[in-house]
Amino acid sequence: MHTLEIKDLHVKIKAEPEHPEILTGVNLKLATGEIHAIMGPNGTGKSTLAETIMGNPAYEVTQGDILIDGESILGMAVDERARAGLFLGMQYPQEIAGVTNAEFIRAAINARRPEDDQIRISDFLKQLDKTMATLEMPESMADRYLNQGFSGGEKKRNEILQLMMIHPHFGLLDEIDSGLDIDALRIVAKGVNLMRGPEFGSMIITHYQRLLDYIIPDVVHVMKGGRIIESGGPDLAKKLEKTGYEHLKVGEQNG
Amino acid sequence: MNTLKWVNKMVETTTLPAPNLPKFPLARYLKNQPDAVEDRVVLHAPQAIAYAAGSSEVQRFTPTNSLDAWLLRSPQGATTVDIPAHFVSGDDPIVLTGPKNAGGLLYVHVGKGAKVTLQEKWASGGHVLGIWLMLVVEADADVNWLSYDSFTADTVLVNRTATLAANAKLNWTLAGFSHNSGLNRVDVRLLGHNAEVTVNVGVLASGNQHVNYTTSVTNEGQHTVGHINQRGVITGNAHLMFNGIGHIIKGARGSDAQQENRVLMLSQRAEGDANPILLIDENDVTAGHAASVTRVNADQLYYLMSRGLSATLAKRLVIRGFLEGGLAEIDDVRLKKELFATIDRTLVAEDA
Ligand SMILES: Nc1ncnc2c1ncn2[C@@H]1O[C@H](COP(=O)(O)OP(=O)(O)OP(=O)(O)O)[C@@H](O)[C@H]1O
Ligand SMILES: [Mg+2]
Repeated sequence: MHTLEIKDLHVKIKAEPEHPEILTGVNLKLATGEIHAIMGPNGTGKSTLAETIMGNPAYEVTQGDILIDGESILGMAVDERARAGLFLGMQYPQEIAGVTNAEFIRAAINARRPEDDQIRISDFLKQLDKTMATLEMPESMADRYLNQGFSGGEKKRNEILQLMMIHPHFGLLDEIDSGLDIDALRIVAKGVNLMRGPEFGSMIITHYQRLLDYIIPDVVHVMKGGRIIESGGPDLAKKLEKTGYEHLKVGEQNG
Repeated sequence: MNTLKWVNKMVETTTLPAPNLPKFPLARYLKNQPDAVEDRVVLHAPQAIAYAAGSSEVQRFTPTNSLDAWLLRSPQGATTVDIPAHFVSGDDPIVLTGPKNAGGLLYVHVGKGAKVTLQEKWASGGHVLGIWLMLVVEADADVNWLSYDSFTADTVLVNRTATLAANAKLNWTLAGFSHNSGLNRVDVRLLGHNAEVTVNVGVLASGNQHVNYTTSVTNEGQHTVGHINQRGVITGNAHLMFNGIGHIIKGARGSDAQQENRVLMLSQRAEGDANPILLIDENDVTAGHAASVTRVNADQLYYLMSRGLSATLAKRLVIRGFLEGGLAEIDDVRLKKELFATIDRTLVAEDA
């Protein structure tokens, strides 16, 4: 079992030092084998949390710590964190020409393996074909440039393809459901559910209960004002669907 | 400004007029003598094609400016290739390979209605080389042209000129992976109505190279389309300058001139310029330009690194992607791989 632990995390935007902290003391513990959902109003700091865990240089930790298996990762660069087991499925994936999807995914897998034990191309292609079939992606997408010209929904599906090929310990999925049609939502959820197991934990950021009908979380957290103000079981998400966030107050434990 | 006056002016002053080569010290370069050579361009054609080489071929080259005159100053090998009318090339391109240690003159005539794919490759060494390619595309012909430069000479002045007759199409890619300093001039004249050209340029400049790519398209016929798209990556101490010139002359109604010039600098000492120039002498036209001089895109780097790729590898992939913007039309898979490998090698060597 592996753990990802967020302790009293305070975060600022580096470019705007005058701006008050975006995260104001987040506490969270995610273990492999678990799926946590994070919900909350727009602009409350959900993406900031995911990006800060991943090590996005735009954000600065002003207080608190992030630990994997008890070791702080704050001193690690983005790529080191990825190799330590983190994966961030982004709200807005980048487009990169000149490198094909397949080439890129293979490079990502090989980055985790020693120089003298790189994945065999035939093994890689077999896995890729199989995973793409699971996600109902056309084969041609393997040879297209990374996210280049992909539709919004295709990009999200491609994030899940990478997740499934890379096999991280922790998948942070930021609004992986936004822009997906109903069929795509079901397919993406199927992908995440296939990852479920003792070696995989996930933090799913979403605005919609619908996704959580397909991927049933173990824990649901509500974020507001830059911290987690309430946690509960899957029912909490259902309740929020009806009541919204307005009545929840920052600074006191609700529920 | 019409073309005739322009030519006259050049003969008079024996220097190229200012808008043609902004910010480039051509006169200084022209003080050098080009290496004298007898070697010629070698033709490899899957099908039979008329090919001639010899001093008599030089007469096809009529100088109209100081650069032309310089190119003819020393004895140069001259080659002419004639693609017959309605010729259709097969799967393999026609390949023209420059001599090992020389420049030279190359005249290619593409007959009416021909459909042809050509590659022109230069990897020549030497001191000062001059290259003049003259491409004449007749009506209704459709030409896919790749110029692949990997010169090892110190200084190279390349003059590539093309004229297109009515309804002719030219899709031109110039891959600049050389080590020399100097000038790369591409000058396309769209003479006939509906003629169309796209010039894609992808350049990797490294070491102490000081290079200028000046690509100009002149819309002379009506409803002609000229697009210029130049991408350059600069490392080390190199200085790369892109000039893009789109000129629509009076009377070329319904024409379109677009251009994009982008350079990416990788080191502190790298220097880049991107100068788009539009000269529009007709009202009923469309034209546009975009230019940028930037450093590596941090968001793309972050994305790649978030998948575990090292900063170095991520950077190389982003650079590839940037250059791909100029090299996208190359569908020769082997050549593309070779270019990407060269990019990687250069970046490793320069530790960029
Ligand atoms: N790079 C940045 N530069 C400036 N402001 C930022 C940056 N990143 C986040 N912010 C600000 O921080 C706050 C939190 O943003 P964040 O993206 O974390 O919210 P979110 O909870 O993910 O919202 P949403 O549900 O709309 O995705 C917002 O006010 C946002 O404008
Ligand atoms: Mg967000």
